[in-house]
Amino acid sequence: MGRWQALLWLGPSLVLIAAVVVYPAVALVRASLSRYSITGLYQGSVGAANYARLLEQDALPTVVANTVIWVAAIVVVTVVASLGIAQLLNEDFPGRRVVRWALIVPWAASLIMTSKLFVWLYDYYFGILNHALTALRLSAAPVDWLGNDATVMGAMVVVGIFVSLPFTTYVVLAGLSAIPGEVYEAARVDGASAWRTYRSVTLPLVRPALLVAVVLNVIYVFNSFPIVWTLNDRNPGFAHDTMITYMYKIAFKSSLRDVGLAAALGVVNVLVILLGVVLYLRTVSWREGEA
Amino acid sequence: MTRALTALAVLGAAATVLFGACDRGAGGGKSITVVIAEYSKDHTKAFWQGLSEQYTKQAGVKVDLRIVDWNSIDQQVSTMIQNNQPPDVLNLNSFSSYAKDHLLYPADEVLSPNTRDDFIGAFVRGGEYQGKLYGFPILSSARAFFYNKDLFARAGLASPPKTWDEFVQAARKIQGLGGGVIGYALPLGPEEAQAEWAIWMWNNGGDWKSGDAWAINSDKNVQTLRFLADLANRHRVTQINPGKTNRTDGAFQLFKDGKVGMVIGFSPLAAQLDADKKVNYGVAEMPTAAGQAVTLGVEDYLMAFKKSGNQGAVKRFLDLYYQPENITRWIAAEGFLPVTKSGLSQMSSNAKLKPYLDALPNAKLAPTTDPAWDRVKLDVQQSIGLAVQPGGNPKQVLDQLQKSAVAAAGTR
Amino acid sequence: MSAARGRRRAVRRAALGCAGLALAVVVLAPYAVMVCTALKPEAELRITPPRLTPLEWRPDNFLEVLGDPSFQGWLRASLVVALTSTAIVVLAATPAAYYTARYRFPGRSAFLLLVLVTQMFSPTALVVGLYRQFFELGLVDTYAALILTNAAFNLAFAVWIRRAFFAAIPREIEEAAAVDGCGRLRTLVQVVLPLSLPAIVTAVIFAFIAAWNEYIVALTLMTDPARKPLTVGITSYVTAYVQHWNQLFAASVIAIVPVVVLFALIERHLVGGLTAGSVK
Repeated sequence: MGRWQALLWLGPSLVLIAAVVVYPAVALVRASLSRYSITGLYQGSVGAANYARLLEQDALPTVVANTVIWVAAIVVVTVVASLGIAQLLNEDFPGRRVVRWALIVPWAASLIMTSKLFVWLYDYYFGILNHALTALRLSAAPVDWLGNDATVMGAMVVVGIFVSLPFTTYVVLAGLSAIPGEVYEAARVDGASAWRTYRSVTLPLVRPALLVAVVLNVIYVFNSFPIVWTLNDRNPGFAHDTMITYMYKIAFKSSLRDVGLAAALGVVNVLVILLGVVLYLRTVSWREGEA
Repeated sequence: MTRALTALAVLGAAATVLFGACDRGAGGGKSITVVIAEYSKDHTKAFWQGLSEQYTKQAGVKVDLRIVDWNSIDQQVSTMIQNNQPPDVLNLNSFSSYAKDHLLYPADEVLSPNTRDDFIGAFVRGGEYQGKLYGFPILSSARAFFYNKDLFARAGLASPPKTWDEFVQAARKIQGLGGGVIGYALPLGPEEAQAEWAIWMWNNGGDWKSGDAWAINSDKNVQTLRFLADLANRHRVTQINPGKTNRTDGAFQLFKDGKVGMVIGFSPLAAQLDADKKVNYGVAEMPTAAGQAVTLGVEDYLMAFKKSGNQGAVKRFLDLYYQPENITRWIAAEGFLPVTKSGLSQMSSNAKLKPYLDALPNAKLAPTTDPAWDRVKLDVQQSIGLAVQPGGNPKQVLDQLQKSAVAAAGTR
Repeated sequence: MSAARGRRRAVRRAALGCAGLALAVVVLAPYAVMVCTALKPEAELRITPPRLTPLEWRPDNFLEVLGDPSFQGWLRASLVVALTSTAIVVLAATPAAYYTARYRFPGRSAFLLLVLVTQMFSPTALVVGLYRQFFELGLVDTYAALILTNAAFNLAFAVWIRRAFFAAIPREIEEAAAVDGCGRLRTLVQVVLPLSLPAIVTAVIFAFIAAWNEYIVALTLMTDPARKPLTVGITSYVTAYVQHWNQLFAASVIAIVPVVVLFALIERHLVGGLTAGSVK
């Protein structure tokens, strides 16, 4: 097959990617090796000094820990919940269509809108959540969900799970509905219990879809900006930032106002997620499924 | 199916070409880029669009007008400068870093003498860097002490407090009314903590600097911060987590709901209260522990970036804005305060603005002329709230701020 | 089917129906609050004690938002950007996916890996470089800039899904078409594409939602308030100086509608499309 033919077919994609991703990515790397004044004015190259300074930042360990918790909590809970919900949606019951449509709403609403909605719901004085909790006597006093250090992360994770469920559920559902009915018939004939069927028949067949769901979720959740940004907006310091919001704050909001340092963190972020995904794929031996 | 796809393809290609071509900003010919912060959805764009059209008619130069909301304007401007594409005219709340980087025209190169003479003295001083005026005042605001007259009546308080002791007593009485009522709404969240902090700091006789050197952790300042922490944690007369409350969606909102006895506000808040007609409020001087009440004056700036060939065009644009009928019209529409002598005399007939206009001559400004202030301000925003948390350490926070300020003063 | 089994089945369906209802309630509950708040007059937004439903219903809020020229501009911008970038994604991904599915060629794995890696770059980090580039092309503040950016970032998923689906289509079908005298392109368009409709639908939904809801790039590249997409525009309802939560939520509800409509129209095909990743 001629290489030139390949270029023709791949051409549009390559052009798009080269123009819109590669060019800014190169600019990002170059920025990470440069020095800028607080105004953004370029002041020359400094080699790897930004990366060294990055490691010296006091807030970095906290931010890294937050990111790990953020990604792990959301992805694990979302995937497990999706398995259950997809199982439900795979069955035939009255109103199934409506439920499927309902599930699309958190995905259809932009992250910013959903985040602002949850800020409204979590409000200490006027939020419906606190009102419900105190009225139902589930809690003695209202909780400052977004201001209390102990609850902020949990509050944000809940929103993250909420918005990740639709997409993940549909990916798993697709995998589930591809399983032919005969397989279940065979298991039933063999006398397997429902749980046993699920474990030995369903799960393995749904694994490829699960794989796609996990990889994409990890990438999207790691790179997610609006949720943490909106919900954590009123908190000083960096105690609840993830690596992405920390990068933004370094560039524009903290006293560092250091674009070069932020770019270094940006590069590190890409490498981290790349490493994470590659490791994961290796672990589940992706290659063997290749056509 | 195929036909649908073909149609889609044609549509996609056509749309891209069409919109890409048609929506180009200012095409060929001379043009200047003007970046203005979005003070309000309703007034800012309307005014500046009108002004730009007037300017283009007069000068024949197109205007690429960008209205950017406050939350993202810093990012936008930084992006433009990183790409070596600074705007020609910029409206922002700081200027000295840009002056320090030699990016700006001084006033004598782009403002007519009439305009320069019309500025109120205090604001001129607030816009100078190394003796030259780089940050041209665009509008100003002054803070005032707001109190809820109905809550005061219920608590048996005849008049707003004048000293800090009276203030604490008043706050306790109001908090004691119960039913979720709050004595004083203290916003020390990252949005504008430095403003709230500055007012309390000055009213105890402290300041950011002592002479030319930073003095953030002076004894008086530590005392002030401890006072605020006590309000939150000992007397418990504030809203929940003041270190994590911003003015606008936190403290002001609660005051507008009628739940708060006292708050430090400004003229846009008064305008909103008047429109809502829900709260019977009064405006007074700040309670002080240092004899004479001090309030914070804030000025925002217009600045002109040095680019080859744009001096004439920029000068005409600025002169157009600074014509008394234009500048005063916009400031009045947005609910802010004047920065020119002509504007001051024109607006003094407005009774609603009287408390602020009276306070204006005695208002103190932040040390915006020092480029290190840009970093210090951000530092204060990100850390001072931590001092009023339960278990917070005011002295430690101020020491850290002082250390960073001194370091910032020494850096690029 | 015996009567007992029939009864068991009916009970099971009812139980599942209840579970489905519970799920729908949980998922829609926050948005129900959004709708209720959108129907409240300004004075009722923050009252003690908080109420879910308004005392005074104000559907006018929706009319006001719809009639607001700024909102109309945002809506138009979102539609233009989302529809066009989705079209481009489909157009660009289809040939690439088909070719990589059918033929081995040097650089195939590299291409697929490149496509995957593009997903890993956070737009937040790339925004400055994007601005510079579009500035040099004279495309800042144009729809074209957003369209191209969204198309490029959504390409990866589209290529994956389409590729897997194409790979699952038996070669015999195409060989039959070749025997009939169809060239490769014609085979693709007239034979393969109709079979892969679920994958197309999946890519369309995904790309549309992603473009419709994109925030940070739109924030940076679109500076004219009239041409910002919805995600950026609605933030001006609740700012430093005004807090119109009811209008913010009314606008948000209106913004959700097109996506739900699109989804309802093509949902049938969606499930089949996502299957592609798991059929081996």
